[in-house]
Amino acid sequence: MARPSFLGLLLIAPALVMIGVLFLYPLGFSLSSAFTGADGRFSLGSFHKAYELYSTDILFTLFIVIVSTLLTGVLSIAIAGILTLSETPWLIAVLRNLYRWPLFIPFIVAAQCMRTFLAKNGLMNNSLVALGLMEPIQATSFLDWRGIIITFVWKQVPFVTLMLAGAMASIDRATIEAGRNLGASRLRVLIELVLPQVAQTLLVGLVLSFVTMLSVLSVPMMVAGSQPTMLTVDMAFRINSYGDYATANALGVISYVIAGAVAWIYLRHNVKREAQI
Amino acid sequence: MDNNVLPAIDVDRLEVSYGSQQVLHGVSLSVAPGEFIAILGSSGCGKTTLLRTIAGFQKAAGGAIRLFGRDVVNVPPEKRGMAMMFQSYALWPHMTVLGNVGYGLKLRGVPKSEIHKRVASILKMLNLSGLENRKVTNLSGGQRQRVALGRALAIEPEILLLDEPLSNLDAKVRIQLRSEIKSLQARLGFTAIHVTHDREEAMTMADRIVVMDAGHIVQVGPPKDVYDRPNSPFVASFMGAENTIDLEVHSSGQDVEIRTRDGLSTPFVGQIPMGSLTAYFRDDAASLHDPDARVAGSIILPGTITQRTYPGGHYRYVVAIGDRHFTVTDDEYHALERPVGLRLPVASLHLFPSDHPQGGIHA
Repeated sequence: MARPSFLGLLLIAPALVMIGVLFLYPLGFSLSSAFTGADGRFSLGSFHKAYELYSTDILFTLFIVIVSTLLTGVLSIAIAGILTLSETPWLIAVLRNLYRWPLFIPFIVAAQCMRTFLAKNGLMNNSLVALGLMEPIQATSFLDWRGIIITFVWKQVPFVTLMLAGAMASIDRATIEAGRNLGASRLRVLIELVLPQVAQTLLVGLVLSFVTMLSVLSVPMMVAGSQPTMLTVDMAFRINSYGDYATANALGVISYVIAGAVAWIYLRHNVKREAQI
Repeated sequence: MDNNVLPAIDVDRLEVSYGSQQVLHGVSLSVAPGEFIAILGSSGCGKTTLLRTIAGFQKAAGGAIRLFGRDVVNVPPEKRGMAMMFQSYALWPHMTVLGNVGYGLKLRGVPKSEIHKRVASILKMLNLSGLENRKVTNLSGGQRQRVALGRALAIEPEILLLDEPLSNLDAKVRIQLRSEIKSLQARLGFTAIHVTHDREEAMTMADRIVVMDAGHIVQVGPPKDVYDRPNSPFVASFMGAENTIDLEVHSSGQDVEIRTRDGLSTPFVGQIPMGSLTAYFRDDAASLHDPDARVAGSIILPGTITQRTYPGGHYRYVVAIGDRHFTVTDDEYHALERPVGLRLPVASLHLFPSDHPQGGIHA
């Protein structure tokens, strides 16, 4: 028994070392630094400071990420639903070919695109004015919280749609037909019969999106102004401008807690589901 | 509108294509209210496509489908008012039995208490009482298909479509459900179209059988008619007449003379077509005799027994005659390698003009 387990340990050792050096050590270091005062003792001072300076930004971050996640969910359900239930072949073909593109565009490029698209004299407003749908005087910049949400949703919808459309394609097609056969419209079929069967996948997609958006620095930095802004920008600012690792780490821990809460919702749902089966 | 006069389902020169490939070539079929129709055919013959087009899941390229006189070709499936049972049960795994069976009623705006009551009475009818709150994923195959039947019947449909609903079940449950569906149909009076590739299932359940081949309907009739008087070699072999033998029929004086390819000649008195024929016969139409026996009205072919099996009730033999093999059932036990006479009563042969020479077991 001893030899195989030693061999096994040897096999996973590289992976363990990588996790330890690149993840666990920095995590532990930043955690302890967040809870350490200037005198080297345990202290909640950094958190106090973080809260004092950035409580608005914490709420702002939560607001942006929650709204973006909800909008991502709605749009992904709509697109995956059309891909699964539409009877218009050209619509399916066009959607299928278009929706994935943002997946291959990095956040920083997406943010740059949005800057030129959403600015006061950007492509969107200019197009609306040219089409006669808006007076030039009405043009406003979307480069604030709305810009962040639009960029996040634009970037994350393809990812969640990809997962969701795949899950919808793999459910028994007859369960859809049985619903329509009994008189359910396609919208009812989507909401009452298809979505519950893919809820797990939707939840995973949204949790992953939530955590991703929580950790993006480039988009809030490039798209929106400095106040209020998201926690990632504040962390970068604390470190770059003041070398204040303690407060940055405290903000980091707050991010962990938010991400952890979402992961907990996901895990709890998972356990409940398994208990039912 | 008078339902007694109009057919429940009237399929009129229906054409369906998958892309450039045409699957149904102008199929016409009229089903009376309360009738039980079985569509029988091998896989790929278009029987499931026909059913799915009637249900509205497949678009027609031409022709009409009228339900009690109303043309539904361009009506979406949810507005056709039929119920369907699927081979895969197609129950919604996230719902309970009550949720599944009651869903059609919920769609129709029936109040909750009424749904409870009606689902309970349907479950009682299907011997599923008390399972209302059970998850459908916790049921056996037979129970699941019963729930699917209950779900279809809950909306009291005038037309029930059955897409091979029994083929995933084990033999015993299948036979049980077969008779349950049949007796419910007799009691509730709905019109049913049942697609199957199981000949016995079609024969036992249906008032009329529709045999399809390559996108065409090749024969329609009551089970006994189709079984006893197939109108083509395809239907004959599909209905189990899988042995074939080539015959030459000539008139000789007042009688006719039936000659086999081996040159064996049998005199015959009676009505029979002339010329080159292929005879199709079932293994229970033939019987085993002495090689040199003479029986009026029968052809006796000398051969040897090469194989014997006992499927129950009778023996099944493979008899070699020259280079051809025939299957025969016989009540008596016969030793292998024994020379026997294969007796073919001419009256029970299905005779069709030969277009190409063939012989032996067809399928």
